[in-house]
Amino acid sequence: MMGKGEAPAPREPEEEEEDTGGVVKLISAEGFEFVVDKKAAMVSNTLRNMLTSPGGFSETRQGEVRFPEISTHVLEKICQYFYWSLHYSSGKETTEFPIEPEITLELMMAANYLDT
Amino acid sequence: MSGGGPPRKRNFKIEAFKHRVELDPKYAERTWKVLEHAIHEIYNHNASGLSFEELYRSAYNMVLHKYGEKLYDGLQSTMTRRLKEISKSIETAQGGLFLEELNAKWMDHNKALQMIRDILMYMDRTYVPTAHRTPVHELGLNLWRDHIIHSPSIHSRLLDTLLDLIDRERMGEVINRGLMRSITKMLMDLGPAVYQDDFEKPFLEVSASFYSGESQEFIECCDCGNYLKKAERRLNEEMERVSHYLDAGSEAKITSVVEKEMIANHMHRLVHMENSGLVNMLVDDKYEDLGCMYALFRRVPDGLSTIRDVMTSYLRETGKQLVTDPERLKDPVEFVQRLLNEKDKHDKIISVAFGNDKTFQNALNSSFEYFINLNNRSPEFISLFVDDKLRKGLKGATEEDVEVILDKVMMLFRYLQEKDVFEKYYKQHLAKRLLSGKTVSDDAERSMIVKLKTECGYQFTSKLEGMFTDMKTSQDTMQDFYAKKSEELGDGPTLDVHILTTGSWPTQPSPPCNLPTEILAVCEKFRSYYLGTHNGRRLTWQTNMGTADIKATFGKGQKHELNVSTYQMCVLMLFNNADGLTYKDIERDTEIPASDLKRCLQSLACVKGKNVLRKEPMSKDISEDDAFYFNDKFTSKLVKVKIGTVVAQKESEPEKQETRQRVEEDRKPQIEAAIVRIMKSRRVLDHNSIVAEVTKQLQARFLPNPVVIKKRIESLIEREFLERDKVDRKLYRYLA
Repeated sequence: MMGKGEAPAPREPEEEEEDTGGVVKLISAEGFEFVVDKKAAMVSNTLRNMLTSPGGFSETRQGEVRFPEISTHVLEKICQYFYWSLHYSSGKETTEFPIEPEITLELMMAANYLDT
Repeated sequence: MSGGGPPRKRNFKIEAFKHRVELDPKYAERTWKVLEHAIHEIYNHNASGLSFEELYRSAYNMVLHKYGEKLYDGLQSTMTRRLKEISKSIETAQGGLFLEELNAKWMDHNKALQMIRDILMYMDRTYVPTAHRTPVHELGLNLWRDHIIHSPSIHSRLLDTLLDLIDRERMGEVINRGLMRSITKMLMDLGPAVYQDDFEKPFLEVSASFYSGESQEFIECCDCGNYLKKAERRLNEEMERVSHYLDAGSEAKITSVVEKEMIANHMHRLVHMENSGLVNMLVDDKYEDLGCMYALFRRVPDGLSTIRDVMTSYLRETGKQLVTDPERLKDPVEFVQRLLNEKDKHDKIISVAFGNDKTFQNALNSSFEYFINLNNRSPEFISLFVDDKLRKGLKGATEEDVEVILDKVMMLFRYLQEKDVFEKYYKQHLAKRLLSGKTVSDDAERSMIVKLKTECGYQFTSKLEGMFTDMKTSQDTMQDFYAKKSEELGDGPTLDVHILTTGSWPTQPSPPCNLPTEILAVCEKFRSYYLGTHNGRRLTWQTNMGTADIKATFGKGQKHELNVSTYQMCVLMLFNNADGLTYKDIERDTEIPASDLKRCLQSLACVKGKNVLRKEPMSKDISEDDAFYFNDKFTSKLVKVKIGTVVAQKESEPEKQETRQRVEEDRKPQIEAAIVRIMKSRRVLDHNSIVAEVTKQLQARFLPNPVVIKKRIESLIEREFLERDKVDRKLYRYLA
């Protein structure tokens, strides 16, 4: 959804309409909490659905999401990616997004899970 | 879908880890129970206790561990069960609440469906496409369609309710349009086919029978105008209905139903309705009704052509009556004015009510062309009308008014087939106007000529323009004559000569009458002056066309100035030397042609108030045995008395015949010229083609008669311009 070079300008007002300010707390398997902007979290389609689905699941109400299967260092990388993606997806310039080889597999699984 | 940054590959397939497959065999069953519970909770509006992440992870894992099918089937059966319950609760809703309940449940279902789709997103994304199953959202809609809308107890009830509500609205009740909108939107959401089959089709059928019944009822009791207004209102109502709570696609369908039932099926009856049909509307200038009819009829096939046909036949019929009614023929000016009024009236109808439709304008034009040419005196009358307008009618009128009237006349002129006949008459009438100085405005005259020129070309007006030139030169000549010869002339009568070029003017050779000696002297002086300045010309006096102002003293010494024609002057001058003369004496002394003399005597002796002569015996007509006396008892309030000749303004029957004959005579060389022109370029041509081509070439001036064309061809063969082909007798050859 949010691939490089996609998400042209007209999309942005829509995102802001869905949820402007506000932050969401992402909690890793070990219990570490990462507070990120909702806007950044919504780079993930899974999180986007989670936060916008009607009917008020507990996550929407409490503003925090637990990931019992994602470890802290992966989640940290994911959060970094959210911001990286948010920053570069709309513009043309890109920089390398560094990934350490040892977490690659876990990161890929998480990406599949989060539909990012 | 996956991977945003350059390091990650898109569409990377993640395989499940091998060791996880060996997990607890009850894992799937357990996970499903969690999800099933969640689905029920969602339907129960109880989702707040659920964790999206947990459910998503459960579904994710199930799919990952190849339990996608179980998950999907479980979802399908759970949802089906829920929907069956919902169906029961909707069924039990009473009367009017039925739709509201249905709508409320539909809203619930939609919301639940969205939530379920969200938590099962991973399945939707990976399992559904690979297993070729229906996506969750669509599945939810299909299940709703099959178990709610198509459930036997709801299906027909829903349709009946909707149709009943629409029927009630048609009868003037107010219904809940918002609810209707939601329901039809639901049907559309379930797929256009559902909307069309389960609602639209029956709706159109019911509407058709409703409108067929209503139109039958209306047409029995309403006049055409009212009926049309009602139909228009119904049509607008239906369009409004569509915009309020039906799918936009239904508009064309329902309007075509109304159009067919209310208009197309009754079209002929409406148009021909007694006392209020199209013809009555036209007669009474009912712009509003006509506009309504136009707007409605244009919607149905053949609608406009029906109106047009009826209008055309009406126009032709009234036009025919107008031009052939002998009463009307008595006054040419009135006759043309009526034609103009008729044209104005229908022009206005077409512009106001028929949106200036080109096809209607053409119909109007062709109708006028048809009936104007039914009367072969139309060219004469139109020319007379112009004559009347340019003679006196336009006095005081502004230039624009003149233009407007002339433009209108030109419009009628365009309809004429025998334009050359018009030219002939126009020339005569123009000549009379110019010579008697009755032209009101030179500008108007010229403007008319310019119009004729643009319409028919230079050839048509060259002679008319020649007449104007002659008038101008005559004026200059006369000034010059008096400037040079004034001493010679002394106190004699003043002479004003118009020198007319032969050929340009409609002159008829007439033997000159004997002019009184006083006049003769001046004339001779002028003749010698003119021939002195212009070598090799011939002057002939057209005594039948001139006028004279003479002073006369009557019995008690009262003096009057008499404005008379040249002939009348000649007659009156005789009475300077004699008190009484017989008709024979006068005829001998003046040598005026008999018919002219009779007319001129009649106007001198038989018109009350202007009878400067006395006739014995007193009677209305002049006979050759009458005697005339100077009427010294003549009185008049006016100092200047104008004695017009008794001339019928309109041509009399023999005159008409004569003009006709001259026109026919003039046409001969034109037809011959056309034939020669054509043959010169074609060399060989058959008879029918020649006739067609000649007709085409001369159309702008007149409609040549095929018989005449044939005669001309024969004459050309005689004179060896053409010959018949030796083999095929129908072919003609051009002989150079």
